[in-house]
Amino acid sequence: MSQDANADCTAMLTKISAYLDGDLDAAGCQTIERHCRNCPRCAALVEGLRETIGLCREAGRTPLPEPVRQRAKASIQRLLASEKPSQP
Amino acid sequence: MTKPEDVNPSTEEDAGAVYAGLVREAATGDRDAMERLLMRAQEVAYRFSLLVCGHPQDAEDVMQEALLKTYRYVSRIKEPAAFRTWLYTTVQNACRMKRRRHVGEPSHLTSIEQGATSDDGEAGPVEVEGHTRPADQLVMDAWLSGRLRQALKTLPPSYRMIVVLREMEGLSTREVAGVAGISEANVKTRLHRARVLLRQALEGV
Repeated sequence: MSQDANADCTAMLTKISAYLDGDLDAAGCQTIERHCRNCPRCAALVEGLRETIGLCREAGRTPLPEPVRQRAKASIQRLLASEKPSQP
Repeated sequence: MTKPEDVNPSTEEDAGAVYAGLVREAATGDRDAMERLLMRAQEVAYRFSLLVCGHPQDAEDVMQEALLKTYRYVSRIKEPAAFRTWLYTTVQNACRMKRRRHVGEPSHLTSIEQGATSDDGEAGPVEVEGHTRPADQLVMDAWLSGRLRQALKTLPPSYRMIVVLREMEGLSTREVAGVAGISEANVKTRLHRARVLLRQALEGV
């Protein structure tokens, strides 16, 4: 890999997360996409991070285990039955 | 009418607005809104205890703390939009206090922010390995991919908190900065490093 290519890769690294979060402008996105077309390593990194973010977001949507939810609901009912809400 | 919880927020701002709506309605005495809000508070406490602090044995106590504090706080809140930051900060503090009690209130208090130093030189939450009871382990295994949990454990704790708050809990960069007590720029830096480390860990699991 040439020094220029390495420099491009280093410059891109600092912007990948902004790119994936949609925080880059159109020109910035195009720069990254153009680089990735010619650099399999960076393309793999972008794809890997995209998958990682997706995995985390999917996990964040997973409901709590049912036994835990049931205990949480029971706690809420006990609390609301035992305390009168304070007035604003 | 669509209830706040029925909305599927597509952005962090939407999610914050859903919470704010629930807070406003609960504060006016809407029991249904209060129940939804209290359930969310406990869900946050459960996930934070397990994923950030790594103490499944503390989860139920931290949930109880989040439940009571949210209930008492709702009628006093002046800025419903700031509720999420308040909630995660409260849960973080509850985890910290729980750890203090576990270690018998030594003069050198254990907190989830101290004990570990990240590669940007800032102290991060202490790395912990909970002595997980078999029952807790079973519940967790059924709940969340073991692969992801194992990978999360390998992150420096301060990075783990950022990635959980941002990616899994869906907080905005500003909200994460408020909970973690760092700048938004620092949140972005840590988040990027955390993503790279997490990806490497996932490939190795």
